[in-house]
Order: sequence, then C-alpha cells, then structure tokens
Amino acid sequence: MRKHDPKNGDEPGGPSRRDFLRGSGLAAASAVLTGTAATALDEAKAAEEGPKVLSGEVEITLKINGEDRKTTVEPRSTLLDTLRNRLDVTGPKRVCDRASCGACTVIADGDPVYSCTTLAVTCEGKKIETLEGFETGEHGVPHAFHQNDALMCGYCTPGFVTACKALLDKNPNPTLDEVRRGLDGNICRCGTYVGVLQAALDAAKAMKGA
Amino acid sequence: MALTWPEKPTLIGTRITRLDGLAKASGKAKYPSDMLPEGTLFAVMLYSPHAHAKIKKLDISTAQSMPGVKGVVAIAQEGATLRYHGDDIAAVAAVTEEQARDAVRAIKIEYEVLPHVVTEAQAMAPGAPEIVKGGNVRKGRSQDNGKTGEAFAKAEVVVEGKYSLPVITHVCLEPHGLTAKWETADKLTVWSSTQAVQVVAQELADSFQIPVANITVLTEVMGGGFGSKFGADVWGRTAAELAKSTGKPVKLFLDRVQEHLAAGNRPSAAGTIKLGATKDGKLVGLIADTHGTGGSRGGSNFPLPYVYDVPASSRVHSEVFVNGGGARAMRAPGHPQGCALMEAAMDDLAEKLGVDPIEFRLKNLKPDDFHTPIYEAEVKIGADLIGWREKRKPRGQNGDGPIRRGFGLALHQWGGGGTLDKKVSCTISADGTVELKSATQDIGTAARTVLAIIAAEVLGLKPTDVISNIGNSTFPPGQASGGSTTTPSMAPPCLDAATKARDALFAKIAPALGATPADLSLQGGKLLIQGKPSISWKEACRKLGTASVSEIGSAVEGLASTGVGGCQFAEVTVDVETGVVRVKKIVAVQDSGLIIDRLTWDSQVYGGVIMGLNYGLFEERIMDPGTGVMLNPDMELYKLAGASDIPEIVIHAYEPDEQKARGVIGIGEPPTIATAAAIGNAVSNAIGVRVTEWPMTPRNVLNALAAASKEGKA
Ligand code: FES
Ligand code: FES
Repeated sequence: MRKHDPKNGDEPGGPSRRDFLRGSGLAAASAVLTGTAATALDEAKAAEEGPKVLSGEVEITLKINGEDRKTTVEPRSTLLDTLRNRLDVTGPKRVCDRASCGACTVIADGDPVYSCTTLAVTCEGKKIETLEGFETGEHGVPHAFHQNDALMCGYCTPGFVTACKALLDKNPNPTLDEVRRGLDGNICRCGTYVGVLQAALDAAKAMKGA
Repeated sequence: MALTWPEKPTLIGTRITRLDGLAKASGKAKYPSDMLPEGTLFAVMLYSPHAHAKIKKLDISTAQSMPGVKGVVAIAQEGATLRYHGDDIAAVAAVTEEQARDAVRAIKIEYEVLPHVVTEAQAMAPGAPEIVKGGNVRKGRSQDNGKTGEAFAKAEVVVEGKYSLPVITHVCLEPHGLTAKWETADKLTVWSSTQAVQVVAQELADSFQIPVANITVLTEVMGGGFGSKFGADVWGRTAAELAKSTGKPVKLFLDRVQEHLAAGNRPSAAGTIKLGATKDGKLVGLIADTHGTGGSRGGSNFPLPYVYDVPASSRVHSEVFVNGGGARAMRAPGHPQGCALMEAAMDDLAEKLGVDPIEFRLKNLKPDDFHTPIYEAEVKIGADLIGWREKRKPRGQNGDGPIRRGFGLALHQWGGGGTLDKKVSCTISADGTVELKSATQDIGTAARTVLAIIAAEVLGLKPTDVISNIGNSTFPPGQASGGSTTTPSMAPPCLDAATKARDALFAKIAPALGATPADLSLQGGKLLIQGKPSISWKEACRKLGTASVSEIGSAVEGLASTGVGGCQFAEVTVDVETGVVRVKKIVAVQDSGLIIDRLTWDSQVYGGVIMGLNYGLFEERIMDPGTGVMLNPDMELYKLAGASDIPEIVIHAYEPDEQKARGVIGIGEPPTIATAAAIGNAVSNAIGVRVTEWPMTPRNVLNALAAASKEGKA
C-alpha cells in the first residue's frame, strides 16, 4: 500500500513497481519484501498495544486538509470510499480499487498511500492531505500540471498531482529518473506522461521559489 | 464575404493552456462519478460469473430485505441466457455502497452452465459448441479488386505470413455509469460519463417514453471514453429506473472488473496475408484471409489493403463469435489492426526484395492521391528524426550480443472531418461577458478551450475571457466526441457564431460611437475605430445598455476538411535471451490541417503514441479457455505503461501553409494507429525474425525465436 517507504526509499536506478509486476525486474522483489517487513513490524507493534475489535457502524473523525470531519463508516469502509461517498471529498478518484493505478492517492502523515486499500478506521489521528488542499498558485504542483497540459481527461490527474507533491516534499531536487520512479505507481490511460514528467520537474523548481 | 479562418491569427495555432486545467489538477473539477445529489443511493451491478449459462432461478427477495436496500431490479429474467463473463444480471440500490454490495451477493441464482467458447481457437475448432445459430465462424463476402490470379502470375517475389493482434479493452479511467435524478415524474437530470450527451439523452427519452426536452444530461468533464461511451447503456437505464422506483437519485458506475468485461473492447485481428511484387519493388497483388472476434455480436472487420496502392487484391474476412464482451469503437476503429497486418507484410516483402523499407513504401503510394506528396515529405522528416540512414541496419544484422537494436516504421491514414449540422451559440452581454454554448463535451481533447480560443480570436480577447459552456444536452446541437470529428464539427460553427455576434455588437454600438460598423474592429481587449484603439472591450459592451447580443453559428463549408495521414518510426532494443522488448524512441510525423491549440495538439499526439505503445507491447485480454472467464480484468495484470515505460517521443506537426488552408480536421485518432505496427517492424529488424503475434511480450518474442531456430533461420 505504501508506495514510497521513507526508510528504504525508492532509490534511483532501482526497478519500478511496474517492472516488478511484469516479472521482468527480479531485483524489485527485495525492495518489495523490505516494504512488507516494515508493514509487518507496524502490525506487530499494533498487536502488542492490544486488539481493538470494531463492528457495525463506527463513528470516526478524520483530519482532512487540516479540518476535523466526523462521519459514520463500517470497519471495512476504505478511506477512499469514506472520502468520496460520505464526505464529498472527490479529488481522489476510484479507478482500479485495488492498489494498481494511483488515482486514489492521498498523503497520510506525509506518506502517499492508495486510499482504495486503506481502511478509514485506521486513519483516525492521522493527517490526511488530499490535493484539494494543495497550493494552486504559481508555486504549487497543480499549476505546473496545468501549464504543461499534464492532463487530458484529467481523471488520473489527482493521483499524479498528489504522488508528485509527496515526492517533492521528500525529495525537492529529483532527477528525471527519480521522478519516473516516484510516479510509477500511477497510470494514465490518455498517455499524458510527457507533460507529467515535465510538470514534476517544473514544480520542483517553482516550489523552491515559494 | 465567405467566412474564412483569420489569416494572421494571434491565438489560433499557439500554445494555450486549458480553461479547465487547473480545476482538474487541483481536484476541484467534478466528474459525473463525483456527483452526489442530496439523498443519493448507491447502485451496484450483479454480472455473470459464467461465460455461457442459463438462469434457471433468480431470487431477489433476500436482497430486497437486506439493511439499507431500497430497490432491486432484475435485468435478466429466469430462462435468459448469459452470453459472457460480465453479462448483466441485476442491480441493487442501497443507502451505502457497502450495503448495496452485500445485497448483490445475496441475490440467489441457479445457473445451468452451458458449454462455452472464449478464444478464437476454441470457437473455430471442429466440433466446437455452436454459441450462435449458423455457426461460430461467419465468412464475409469476398472483397475483390482486379484479378489476383493474373497479378500473382506476374509477381517475382511473394511473401505469405500469418499475423495476429489480441482483443484489448478501453480501460477508461472513469468507469461507465451515471447518476440519475428525477426532478418530477417525467423530468430527468443525469450526470453521465459520456462522450455524447445528446445520444444519452435520446436513449433515455426512448426508454422512458418522455420527450428528450425533458432530459438534461450533464457532462462537465469526463474521464476518458476512447469510443466506448456513446450511450446510456443497460446500467445507465437501470440507474434511471432505480431512481424512478425509489424516488431518490441513484448513482451507478461499473466496477473495474466489469469495465473490462462488459464496457467494450477493440476486436482482435488475425490472418494470412499473401503479398507479391515485381523485382523492382512494385506491388502487384494481395490475397488475405482474415478473421477476428468482436465477442458475441461481431464487428471485427478492418480496412485491408491499407494505405498502399495494390493493383489487385482479394480478401475475405470471417467474423468469429465467442462468449466475450462486445466490441465497441476504439480510437481509430479498425485502423490499428489493418495497419499492423499490412505493414508487417510490407516489411517482410521489402526484406525479401532486399530493398530499404522506406523506399519500398514510397514506391507503392497511390500515384493520384493528394496525400502521396504529404506522405513523401513526412517519411523524410521522420527518417531524419530517428536517424534511419545512419543507425538502421538490415534485418538480422544487428550483432550477436544478447541485446539487439532495431528500427521500424509504419504509415497510417484517417478520415476525421466534421459534420455540417452542429451549432454553437455566442452571447455577448453588456457587462462584457462572452458565453459560448453547445451540447458537445470534452473527452480530454480540450473542446471547451478550443471553442474559447476561436471566439477570443474573433473578439480580440483572451481565451480566459470567454465562458465556454459545453457538456449539457439541452444546449444547441453538438458533436459526439468520436472519430476525430469533434473539433472539425464544432470549430466552424463557433467561428460563425462569434463572427455574427461581433457583427451584431458592431451594428448596435456603432451609432453611439459616431462610426459605421465597418469602421470597427477588435484587438487586444480594445475596440478600434478605423484601426485606432478607442475604448476597452468592456466599455464597448456597456454601450449595449441592458441588451445583449446572441447569435447561433452553423457550419460553413471550407472551414474543415477530412483525410490525414502520418508515419511513425520506432527504435527498440530486444534482449534475445529474455525476450524483453524496450522501446527507446518513437518519432511521429502527422498532418492534421489547421491546428487550433498547439499545446493540446501535442498532448493528443503524445497520448495517441502511448496508447499505441501499450497495444504494441503490453495489452491483451486473456481469456481462460477452461473456465471461460477473463483472467486479467484489473489494472495489475492487464498491463499499461507507467512513467518508466515511456520512451523518448519526438512529435512533428507537418504543417506547411497549404495544411492550414485545409481547415480543421481532427487529431484524436490518427496518431495512435501506426505505433504498434512500427514497434512490430522494429522488433523484427532487431532480431532478424518476424514476431507474428502482438503484443511484443517476452513470450511472443521467444516463441518467434524458437520457431525460427527450429526452421534453422535464427
Ligand atoms: S483506485 Fe486506488 S490505486 Fe487505483
Ligand atoms: S489524463 Fe486521462 S487518464 Fe490520465
């Protein structure tokens, strides 16, 4: 679920997620396994703190773009469905609903996550950022996407913008290769990648001017 | 005076950012699938898990009594036959989506599973179960041109090859669907993800037997269609029906699985092609026996011969019926298939003749076609941009190491052009507002922006000064977004509307300015009297008092035309040990008449190339012959290029002055046609043998190498 493990990073020159999926990038296996191990540790830690059983309707409060939003979900409700169906936060899109396309990407406590495979109940207390909260002026990522026509139908765009923002927050000076890898968890069917890559590089420059 | 495109435009042809670009990039644009009117119920579809089955029993009663459920409809009835994995069965509307999904699972069905055929091989096998009356394979009438017998008697070099391309699916990122809300018993508003708002309105009017004027279809923006979103579809009508029966707005969008299964696909194409030429490299004839599957309804034909001048040809195409979702138009329907098959055979023949593939192609263009000199110029530009003369080596002479480099090319053609019955209205208000309206929509081509650019050009304003209102079926008739016809259909009436509105404005305000209308012109946000800037646009409009001017523009002959072509070159590397193909560079040279917005033109061409790259390298619908289900209805195993898969792409607009004089033609489809063909040819050039099956996956590459080594060729 986590696209960029902050500890292990998506190192430049490493294999892309999609290479791995195609089975043509064997080296990717280790990166993925390390990611899994990190998740397992998180889970183990959670288990130590004692299990919390949730069922039926659960009232939760999510901190979205700095605002506390209260709603009722089921324990199985995904963060994406909660945002879209219950809170009218529709920037993140549901496309694959299975952690393959990136259209639903949001930033949770600084990390980009696929909200379609993140349970809403696990997000209480986390800082959730969606692209609706991003700076839209000249120093923001959306502006760079607009200027580079890095969108056609625009349905993948929220995910790309969000993944791009998350990447630049961690790595303000990415190389083109790092940008590619940082965005490899996202898919655009209209094929706007050329604009997207340029937008990411331009946004990196513009954000420094802010 | 006849209306013409401005001779020295200041906006048309420049790089202008989209009016709605920032809204899309900041998550503020509301897509049909984002709309949630107060009290909306969520609907979920139930679809067939079997490739072929009869419904013996269908019981929705448990589902009806589930918590939150407000409505259940059976789309298929007891006794009905389900024709493919993904065929529609029923739908449920509930307060939450989670509840609707639970209820769908609670629908009880007894199936009588019938024998299926899901692959063409299965369908064509002797003794295969007949899934349609009259047999699974339906041979079309032979299309003959000239006497191929005599032609082949003259042929000095002949190749015969078998080539094939798989079924692929559209994978629009926004799923198919709509949200329906009845305003009164016979007035309906829907937010539909569609490329044809008026077609959806008409379809719903017909199914509910209400006047189309009572239906408003809204599509402010939409997330891709590629040819698969022209209608309301079963699920759209079902949503409206559920909205009616529950008295609440109902939202029904497909899930990703059903998107792949039921929302359309590009048919497969395969066949044996025999192509002959004289020794000096002139084509003499083609004989082709082709087939393809468009699912259970057909529709797999494609143009062949393609592009080139073939003096004698004979071709039969067979429709193969399988238990699979139906074909729908997909970006340049038929052309990518026809192009790949023709260009593969052309390349193989050039190889056998021992001539350069470019020379061979140039020699066989149609002598009297207006497009021939354009192709000649384009091919030259493309060859230079890819470095053909310096870098390309003849097939199979690309070294002995595991990594082989190869180059290939392909040519394509497309119609485009506009219809003549569309309209745009242009209203200028006293406060200086300019508003355009038309019932067209933006599938991603920047239709809204293109219209604003034209009006701004005429009125001496900036595109952002113009309100460009589209995506509403009640506006003046607009073009469906398909066939690369939207811009050529909508740009002329837009120019007409803006020009008429400008003239009406001049006529109204000239007296107050002590001038005649002919003295007035507009430029840079100012009104000019006899060429001298006088007052601002806003001040000029204020002279309208409380009135406004509003004009409807129609198509005008000569502002749009049809017929474009282009060529693409690919540079690839192939690892002959693993079969992995990497595309290094693609060059696309394309003519398209008058370009309105160069920035979005570029995006369309890049996007077309990338869609073609997916077709060439990754995409295929994989059906399991045993169970009859699709094995990859997702975005994990149905592979599409990500950022790291994108090669260097060089695009070139072929646009000498005479291209501008042709008017607007349309660009959405042509640049996707030749890519897969060019990649296939580059792979063959790299490894020395033809990979006969697309996509160029490791499996297909290694199979081709293995087959060749068995024959002692590689
Ligand atoms: S919708 Fe979440 S990754 Fe695709
Ligand atoms: S812009 Fe349409 S999917 Fe990316």
